[in-house]
Amino acid sequence: MASRAVIAGVGITPATSPRKQTSSSVELVQQAVWGALEHAGASPSSLDGVVIGNIDGFEGTVLGAKHLVRRLGLGAELPVSILNTGGTTGGNLMQVAARQVRSGDRQRVLCIGGPTFFGARDLQAAINTNSPMIVEQPLGMGAYHMGAFYPSAYQDRFGASVADFAVSAVQDHEHAARNPYAHLRNTLTIDDVVTAKPLSSPMTMAMVCPVSTSANALLVTSQQAAVTLRPTPVLIRAMATSSDPYLGGGKNDFAAMENLAILAQKVYQLADVRNPREEIDVVEVFCPYAPMQPMQLEALGFAPPGGGIGLIRSGATRIDGDLPVNLSGGPLCTNAGVAGELAPYVYVALQLMGDAPEAMQVPDARRGLAHGTGGTFFQFENLAILERQERS
Amino acid sequence: MRLNPSAEARDPVPVLGIAATPLVAESDAVLDELVFDAVSRALREAGIRKQEVGLSVTASLDIYDGRSISSGLTNAASGGYLAQSYRIEGDAGQAVVAAAQTIAAGDADLAVAVGVYNPEVSAPDRRAFLQQISNHGFEPHFDRPVAMSGETVLGLHAGRVVDSGDLTEEQLALIAAAAITRGSTRERSARTTAVSAADVLASVRVNGVLRELMLPAEATGAVAVVLGSLARARRALHPRAVLTGWGQATADTTASGQWLVDPAVAARRASLEAYDRAGLAEPAEQVGAAELTAATPALLAPTVDALGLAKSATELCPSGGVASCFPGVANGALRLLEAVEWLEGNGGRAVAHATDLLTGPVAETATVLVAEGI
Amino acid sequence: MTQPTITTQHVHWDLDYDVHLGATWGRFMHGLIERKILANRCPECSRVFVPPQAYCESCFVRTDEWLELPPEGAVEAFTVAWHGFRGGPTPPYAIAGIRLDGASTLLMHFVRGLDLSDPDAVRAQLPTGSRVRAVWAEERTGQILDIAHFEKV
Repeated sequence: MASRAVIAGVGITPATSPRKQTSSSVELVQQAVWGALEHAGASPSSLDGVVIGNIDGFEGTVLGAKHLVRRLGLGAELPVSILNTGGTTGGNLMQVAARQVRSGDRQRVLCIGGPTFFGARDLQAAINTNSPMIVEQPLGMGAYHMGAFYPSAYQDRFGASVADFAVSAVQDHEHAARNPYAHLRNTLTIDDVVTAKPLSSPMTMAMVCPVSTSANALLVTSQQAAVTLRPTPVLIRAMATSSDPYLGGGKNDFAAMENLAILAQKVYQLADVRNPREEIDVVEVFCPYAPMQPMQLEALGFAPPGGGIGLIRSGATRIDGDLPVNLSGGPLCTNAGVAGELAPYVYVALQLMGDAPEAMQVPDARRGLAHGTGGTFFQFENLAILERQERS
Repeated sequence: MRLNPSAEARDPVPVLGIAATPLVAESDAVLDELVFDAVSRALREAGIRKQEVGLSVTASLDIYDGRSISSGLTNAASGGYLAQSYRIEGDAGQAVVAAAQTIAAGDADLAVAVGVYNPEVSAPDRRAFLQQISNHGFEPHFDRPVAMSGETVLGLHAGRVVDSGDLTEEQLALIAAAAITRGSTRERSARTTAVSAADVLASVRVNGVLRELMLPAEATGAVAVVLGSLARARRALHPRAVLTGWGQATADTTASGQWLVDPAVAARRASLEAYDRAGLAEPAEQVGAAELTAATPALLAPTVDALGLAKSATELCPSGGVASCFPGVANGALRLLEAVEWLEGNGGRAVAHATDLLTGPVAETATVLVAEGI
Repeated sequence: MTQPTITTQHVHWDLDYDVHLGATWGRFMHGLIERKILANRCPECSRVFVPPQAYCESCFVRTDEWLELPPEGAVEAFTVAWHGFRGGPTPPYAIAGIRLDGASTLLMHFVRGLDLSDPDAVRAQLPTGSRVRAVWAEERTGQILDIAHFEKV
């Protein structure tokens, strides 16, 4: 019987660099999974499914989830779905689990975000195998080069400077300083960002995500199955994904995130959001490269074309602004692969539940927007509107 | 034509189109071309355009595809341009289940499930390459270093079956020969010659008692399925069958040894879910044919039993099963295609069962689909 | 006496692939050997694809018509990699998204002949719309680097 899906519990481990991490992948995932069960007040035997991601080329294992899942103390019988849509895997986990619940097939599905990048010796080389082989990879295009095309075109169109792009980096770091789970918690000035080592123009090293190690988990249940659980349930009000073609050459205008804008229209329509700026209380966007954030905010309808940087500069997207963005610090401060892309959903859920760490909790957040993106030239986008469900 | 699925089925989901590319030893095509070929054929058969599709789910494995995030390449071919899509790393049966769930959830009226398999290796090297890949799928610290592979797990299980006196090698060979012969005349088969038990025993020894002809007949290609809601299906060109039930389950890992004593446990759990959805109280009486996936003759009886079809008149693998054609992770969709074609000739109900054989029965995820003729 | 704990173990992938090109890309690669840039067109929306595509992802139909494009076009976006990666070209190097005359898609390729010594002076050298032309490699074997790079016209 068709039903609605809610988020009823989350678990996160504090992030570190791979070098400083003392736990194994299995141990981190165990911590996150048990954290989620504890937060929810759910027993492992009450689960009936697991949805997990593996980005094999980055991990040194193939479908490692098959073996990992049986070491989590959840028994040996849970059905396991293993997704791999590259970077966007994390965001897709929630959507797949939600459909399993909405179809009536499952009541309580645990989404697991593992520390994908943990253990890779040459992560950049692994990531670069995703660059379209044969046609684009031989051109020395790695992930951050692909990311640089967007701000480069934006710069050309709107005259943005490197210092302009630095604004979101400074803010994400300021927010991460309040998030005990974030990896990079140092604050930065505009000058720090601008004078950092140039990477792929117009980006500097301070504008790109770190390689982090952490795990997280998200419990998706039917509304019925959430009744006896502890947190205030968060309804998955609307969700969707959208994709661009594989080759970078298939884009139209690099100065805008067109695919995301198309997706946003769809999701707002599903949720009947008429004025995003006014109706959304908290946002987590996935911007592993700082210049992407203003572009994403424009695509999401929070600012007009060319207005994204001004929006951030105005303070509106700070924790005390009217549209707080990336209170977690976003991937610029913590990027743990699949866990990194599940994180926006985890953090928005926490905010709406009122269960975020005090220093980063937005008061009275009722409706939130969580976003993920990834793949070659960021071809994949996922988006969801989440809403707090007061218990009657 | 009237769509009148059984009232007992909880959420009947019509199959509006189902198509395969040629299934050959090595496909001379880029992965996404195979996907496009299968998906566009299935859509054309259904009389539906890509732009109407609500969700595309692809089943493929990066490690066969030689690319990290190979779904980036195949995504548009599955219909994903400016639309919803994702990729499961596993057998296509899982993609079919996911697509059916989406329709049952009311989240789409039309959904595509496609499996693609064309390991990026040239034919002469194929077996060695596939087993190397299979070894990579095992637990890295304990299993991989001791050369665990799908074939080894299958060999261990078959050896135990013979040692325990359940079946002799000759009996294993007879089962294999019967399946291969049955499928040999069919167009889609990879093994096109009838064989005897002696022929099977004389074929190359691969692992333990297992000869080459006791293992699946490798093929490559893509198979796509278009599913629709019952409402939408009434205006489709020519629905081919109705999915009345589906289920999915995952088995335990190496150390537990469950794969040795109860190798079809995932099939059993998946079938219970599927029969429950389909409202089938007596599958042994109610199911006319079962296109199941038994990687070796030693796995046939456990699988039939797990599906609740032991001591039944159910026709087993009319197509010859995986002994005649096994297109890797596209197998689940091929089993469904064979089941649908059987229903078109015979009516009634059929079951399609598949697993991802990357690591043999170890940690396998099995799917069971129940379909009805129209 | 405490035993040291072993915390990591080396795991290695050593996989060689022969990746299938298919007929469409195969034909394109062959064209490169002959110093031709081949493209194809969607019969429904008429978009022209280079590199060619076996199908149009938007109309979802097979492409059919082949054509040759001039080796010249305009730069729509570019970046300079100041930092490379293992196995990649030595930085700094510039990559651009180039709209060849007549193409609907962008072709990604190197642009050489720019002065990359001063990061601040780079953008002015290749503004959007700059005309560039392909420079062919002397030895061509049927791969994208048969076009060695593009240079400003």
